Amino acid sequence: MFDPKEFSWSVVFIWASLALVGLVAIYSATQGPVSQFLPEYIQDNFFRQAAWVGISILLLVTVQFTSPRTFQGVSYLFYFVCIFLMIITVFFGVEVSGSRSWLRIGPFNLQVGELTKLATILAVANYLTSRRNISAENIKTALTALAFFAAPVILLVLQNESGIAIVFIALLPVMLFWSGLPYGISLLIISPALIGYFTVLEWYWGLAAVFILTCVIFFLQRRTWLTISSLVLGLMVIIGTEVALHQVLQPYQRARVESFVNPTLDPQGAGWNVLQAKTAIGSGGFYGKGFMEGTQTQLRFLPEQWTDFIFCVIGEEFGFLGSSLVLILFSALFLRLLFMASAHKHPFARLVIVSVTFVFFIHFVINIGSATALLPVIGIPLPFISYGGSAFLTNTMMLAICLNLDLYKRSFSIYR
Amino acid sequence: MHSLHKQKQNVRTSIRILQAVVFAGFLIMLVRVFQLQIVDYETYSPLSRQNSIRMEVINPARGLILDRNGTILVENQPIYSITITPVNFKMENIEKLASLLKMDESRVLEKIQEAQDYSWQRTSRLFTEVSFDVFSNIQENIWQLPGIGHQIESKRNYPSEAYAPHVMGYLREATREEYLAADEMRLGDKIGRSGLEMVYEDFLKGKFGTEYVKVNAYGQTLGTYGNGELNISPTKGADLVTTLDARLQALGEKLMEGKQGGIVAMNPQNGEILSLVSAPQYDITRLAGKMDTEYWQTVNVDAHTPLYNRAISSRQPPGSTFKPFMGLVGLHLGIITPDTEIHNSGAYMRGRAYHDLAEPGDYDLELALTRSSNTYFFWLMDRIGSQQHLNEWADLVNDFGIGPRNQIDLPSEVAGIIPDSTYLNQAFGVRNWGIGDLISLGVGQGLISVSPLQMAVAVSSIANNGYKVQPHLVSRIQYSNGDVNYTGPEKEKIDWIRPDHLQTVQDGMRGVVTVGSGRYYANIPGIEVAGKTGTAQNPHGEDHGWFIAYAPVSDPQIAIAVLTENSGYGSISAAPIASLMIEQYLKGEIQRQHVLNYVLDFKPVLDEETEVLQ
Repeated sequence: MFDPKEFSWSVVFIWASLALVGLVAIYSATQGPVSQFLPEYIQDNFFRQAAWVGISILLLVTVQFTSPRTFQGVSYLFYFVCIFLMIITVFFGVEVSGSRSWLRIGPFNLQVGELTKLATILAVANYLTSRRNISAENIKTALTALAFFAAPVILLVLQNESGIAIVFIALLPVMLFWSGLPYGISLLIISPALIGYFTVLEWYWGLAAVFILTCVIFFLQRRTWLTISSLVLGLMVIIGTEVALHQVLQPYQRARVESFVNPTLDPQGAGWNVLQAKTAIGSGGFYGKGFMEGTQTQLRFLPEQWTDFIFCVIGEEFGFLGSSLVLILFSALFLRLLFMASAHKHPFARLVIVSVTFVFFIHFVINIGSATALLPVIGIPLPFISYGGSAFLTNTMMLAICLNLDLYKRSFSIYR
Repeated sequence: MHSLHKQKQNVRTSIRILQAVVFAGFLIMLVRVFQLQIVDYETYSPLSRQNSIRMEVINPARGLILDRNGTILVENQPIYSITITPVNFKMENIEKLASLLKMDESRVLEKIQEAQDYSWQRTSRLFTEVSFDVFSNIQENIWQLPGIGHQIESKRNYPSEAYAPHVMGYLREATREEYLAADEMRLGDKIGRSGLEMVYEDFLKGKFGTEYVKVNAYGQTLGTYGNGELNISPTKGADLVTTLDARLQALGEKLMEGKQGGIVAMNPQNGEILSLVSAPQYDITRLAGKMDTEYWQTVNVDAHTPLYNRAISSRQPPGSTFKPFMGLVGLHLGIITPDTEIHNSGAYMRGRAYHDLAEPGDYDLELALTRSSNTYFFWLMDRIGSQQHLNEWADLVNDFGIGPRNQIDLPSEVAGIIPDSTYLNQAFGVRNWGIGDLISLGVGQGLISVSPLQMAVAVSSIANNGYKVQPHLVSRIQYSNGDVNYTGPEKEKIDWIRPDHLQTVQDGMRGVVTVGSGRYYANIPGIEVAGKTGTAQNPHGEDHGWFIAYAPVSDPQIAIAVLTENSGYGSISAAPIASLMIEQYLKGEIQRQHVLNYVLDFKPVLDEETEVLQ
């Protein structure tokens, strides 16, 4: 059944490379000279991660011997189980650094939110592709898909895991877009995020974004009501953002947002992390300071350097060479997966692969964007590199499913 | 079929769009990373170095101050300080810091703001001389208090029985201006503000060392950076070997307790100051280390001005101690010879009666000195004035060191007044003065005023047979690398003094101690002392007593001038003090216990209301 010629070895190679980069970075960030400032349970993160990588290899192999139909078949059940677990987590979860997103199962702490990403992708993909001629243009279909997303987002916010919630929110437009939502409307859906981002930078940049986006939407759709609502929505977003910044947000929250725009405003307060992260990456230069030689990393100037700020460790110790290698590996993975999707004939498989690609992509953009101060600091891990068992397992699982769907694409199409 | 085709088209376009999004994301990140790591490398590389490497200033040990026999007069004693680098300090930690320091939060906040005012970037002392308990508390918790540091420093300590505050001087924190002017100075660094500490500041302070240390994000020091090749060790300040004799100085301070005035004892052969006392003294140990604000204010407002160095800065008429110099000047001017006799009828008549307490009779110079006859010197001054010798007289007197500054190595030495015609023209108006204003100058009264230092320098010239010596307190500067600087100023012959003239004056002064007014307290068995008493008229209260002396006569080792304010006759107030000093110095102990007890029990008439200081 397993045909090595059909199998996408390049994806496995990229996966292994990223995991290796991750292990090297985590080793430096927890076992290097810095370990003297770290509690023992954090020093052990490296060994745990190594174990998770080992387990993930088994998982990757096992998934390849599963029938591709299984994923579609169990998708709803899987989704509801995950939602159920998340509800349990809200009440009985283990609280780790402020977020109650961990469920204790035997000796392990499972981050159900990670698994729910996969479950939501499968369920929504199944829903959107299970009937003939279904289109997200149909408002009822779109709203149902929205409902599938709303449940985990609300639960994640309740768990104080807004970082992962943002991933879900960003994924929805991609899935709807792929399922036939007109380009203009897709753009309209993501426009508030873009406009908000530019408004935080400078209000007039936000205004410029509104006009450009409105023009693009007009040329894509040529519908007056859509164009007008784009303009009105955009202006409301600008006003809303300004009001939120100056009226609603607490001063410390505002400081956090503003410090992303200009970290030097408050180098000891909110801007500290941003400045230290930029300093770590910037001081790496072309070749980097060397493995376990980064002063920012080893002298504990970086926050969460084994998870959210791991890219800074790579940037500091391996320089532009190391960080661009990571960027290239990720981009190769994304493009390879997108190619995989385009080559597939089954809509469910295509949507799953595209969605998985974009889950990774969203993580990639937010994580590295935060570390390089392009975005405000939103704490989410970098797939396959950051420390975290649940995330690594789930990400590998998602990748394994894509590989499986690709591997069986010839036999798959019969079931259509 | 058409719809299927359209759908395929859509898939292809959608893939293209998604590919474009992914590629755009990649490009943005790549450009950003390129910008940070390649373009802005020069910005961030130093930032990361500054983050993790801190330059620490290492205070050098300040030089010691020793007496002529190597006894330590001033040394350093470790004290514990807490420092702050305001830019790294988190204000929310104030509460924690205050509780560790066992102080009020408001007080801590106040000091932090003071440090912030000076500099956000530079490390300042927050509290000095904290207890060892507090110091170790802070040390243990330093990782929770970014921006806070600790250091062991030193303060001045005075281990010997001699304190000599007016000689040693105190240290004070550098002012804002001094701090800003010097790169390597930190808030709270102390510099000499008076005395030798001030004059020899550049020698004593040594050179700051610098150490580059690795620090982590909590501000913890992780040892030296690299192999320490960038470090510069501090250079210990040079030690000062003074000319003081610690035991003599201690005795002088003890003798002057409760009195007001000054003592200057010196080696008449080379100008080395053996003892320099100004009374009242201040407690120099309370001005060492942490600022004792209360005490500082007390000594500053004290009506007896303990900070004022009377030994070198007071200006009082020398009284009869001026007579030996009058004699030498008169002999040189040819107005008198050693054999010139002047009749004392009880008063010198010139417009009015100038009284003379010496027995009536004929006096030659030697006798006039021994018996302290005023008439002889009124007559002499009258001749000097009326024969237009006034300015010459002033110059000759200045040659003894009476009047001008003697350039002792202490700050705030004040010149005396030897009135010449210019001075008198200024004081009274041109030609608005006459012989009547001059006559009392002959006996050291009137407009003339001098300091104990000037009289000590002057009497040295008589003792050493006519040489002008340069008074000085430091004989050697010993650098930490072993180099030694000798500060032995040359003495200078006063060429107009003739040995035979000098002999007459010396004999007269010897007579003062053997048969004159000094015989009671200044005549020390076994030591040939020569001296001259004096009493300066004080219109504001009790007269000031003076005594100048040297001993032994055959080979003078010590010359001394003592001023005791508001103490009446010099023979009963200043003379016993001077003789005890001479006895101590030449014999090494005090055998005349009754004289010692007499001096210790002697109380001047100090009246705060009438005390006027110039």
